[in-house]
Amino acid sequence: MIQLDNVAKTYNTNGAPVHALQGVNLHIAEGEFAAIVGPSGSGKSTLLSIIGAMNPPSQGRMLVDGIDVYSLSVERQADLRHEYLGFVFQQLQLLPYLTALENVLLGLAIARMRRADKLQRAQEALERVGLGSKGDRLPGQLSGGEQGRVAVARALVNAPPLILADEPTGNLDSATGRQILALLQELNAAGHTVIMVTHDAQATAHARRIIPILDGRLVAGEEAATDDDGENKVDRAHDD
Amino acid sequence: MQLYDISLKGLRRRLGRMALLLLSLVTAVATVVTLVSITRSLNHAVAHRLDEFGANIVIVPQASDLALSYGGISVGTAAYDVGELTLADLEPIGSIPNARNISVVAPKLLAAVDLGAGQVLMAGVLFSEEVRLKQWWQVRGAYPSGASGPVASTLGGHAPTALAVGRDGPSTEVLLGARLAQTLGLEPGDTLVHGGHTLLVAGVLQETGSQDDDILFVDLSLAQEIAGRPGEISLVEIAALCSDCPVEELVRQIGDVLPQARVSAVRQAVALRMETVGQLTQFALIVSLVVALIGGLIVLTTMLGAVAERRQEIGLFRALGFRRAHIQRVILGEALLISLAGGVLGWLAGMGAVLLLRPTIAELAMESPWDPILALVTLAGALAIGLAGSLYPARRAADLDPTTALRAL
Repeated sequence: MIQLDNVAKTYNTNGAPVHALQGVNLHIAEGEFAAIVGPSGSGKSTLLSIIGAMNPPSQGRMLVDGIDVYSLSVERQADLRHEYLGFVFQQLQLLPYLTALENVLLGLAIARMRRADKLQRAQEALERVGLGSKGDRLPGQLSGGEQGRVAVARALVNAPPLILADEPTGNLDSATGRQILALLQELNAAGHTVIMVTHDAQATAHARRIIPILDGRLVAGEEAATDDDGENKVDRAHDD
Repeated sequence: MQLYDISLKGLRRRLGRMALLLLSLVTAVATVVTLVSITRSLNHAVAHRLDEFGANIVIVPQASDLALSYGGISVGTAAYDVGELTLADLEPIGSIPNARNISVVAPKLLAAVDLGAGQVLMAGVLFSEEVRLKQWWQVRGAYPSGASGPVASTLGGHAPTALAVGRDGPSTEVLLGARLAQTLGLEPGDTLVHGGHTLLVAGVLQETGSQDDDILFVDLSLAQEIAGRPGEISLVEIAALCSDCPVEELVRQIGDVLPQARVSAVRQAVALRMETVGQLTQFALIVSLVVALIGGLIVLTTMLGAVAERRQEIGLFRALGFRRAHIQRVILGEALLISLAGGVLGWLAGMGAVLLLRPTIAELAMESPWDPILALVTLAGALAIGLAGSLYPARRAADLDPTTALRAL
């Protein structure tokens, strides 16, 4: 599903080049739940933004279902984000002036469908995350965990094949974090491919595959995967 | 949830900032509406007054040998006694299609008379019409009787005034030009005798600087009697309200019903009127443009500020797959809503100001200010200002990189 070939990303900071990513080769198959794990500054968020069709690499290419994403126009990249991807952001990025239902509806704002169908889809998404009765609440009237669930509902409302989550437990207490991770697991079990960036050891336990990253490079030989029991197991690194 | 829902909710979210923007737009629109309405009314009033301020059409007999000068207008020969028109000839003027545009019809008989101090020009006039025609006249003493009394008017296609006077016999009260009075040594209340008629000097004109200073104005019927030319007239001066119709058209219509006369427009006067009206309009236009420009700049800075404030939010939209055009539509949608509100409220405020100011701005013959075309133009103008001022901010917003805007990534 996702294929990164020799991807590098260099930023210019005060005129000095900073290599955020170098020589990244990665394949993520449909149906995987992968956790990109690394310390702060390791390049994991940059990698997620490249996979998210938001940040063109300085070198290499990224394919989604065989489509070279960054060879597309900026507008087609936007279309791809809309049709293929659902995002759960670290700060959740709920708009405080919209109700939970309206925040979920944002994911469908540009979809070509009838208003009633949009409402039904958004309501279903909220019910799926257990917030069917709180659609009329503003984010400020919801707990942190509930806000996180609204963010997940917004990510899945468009039924995207791929869900990207950036530190989904970053701002949550451990119990709430576990709820969000359980939700992501459910979505994965329902057929969504999930890629999560985290530095939380607990969070990695929910992923079926761990992709370690350090100093902008995938760490060869330390990639891990979990078996069906949720136990991590170390695989050979995918470094071709 | 549609894009315009996002625009609407975005406006509600930034109520304070948007209220200030709305206030600015309302002020700008109200200023322009007030200015335009008052200028239009002033134009109308000025045109109306100018129309009444002297003749703009002159009718003289159809004769090729006329070279008489009156008030700078060629009206006859040096003999002063050319006259082939009669009062009865004027009757059809009341029936022309644009008769309602005719304000004053002032027939005159010009003749030379000898008052002992040499020949002077006697003008037989209908004082009631003459006084309306020459509103700049100021008189010592009084106008001869008949000048201020009710007279039949040609307005609305009524019979020419000339036909309605003189039935009780000609008035013997006369009006003297300033220099003539000085030459003859006459003052209001004095009398002078000519051809068996005793004429009472009712008033003396203040100096006008025109040929009127040397003329003896007498009642038309009396002049006809003195000159021995009953019913005849030498020329007719007409003041027409031509601000809403071309004077040439009136000239053509009068010419059609008076084939025996030569009808011509006093072009200089017409040009002057149009120039004055044009200057007022130009002034209003310039001020309106400046106000519109300021309004546009306020929209621009406010919307730029709003975009800067919403970088993360716009980044979220981009991350969710909104195209650049979608982002522009959200921003322009907000501009559209606020401009629409600004246009409607501004127009209402402007109309309110006009109604308040109306009594204080002279005796404006103001038309009904509730002009639907002005309302539509106002609305279109407000939308144009709002959208033009928001184009650049919308483009800036659409150019935002989702990763730059979403600092979380």
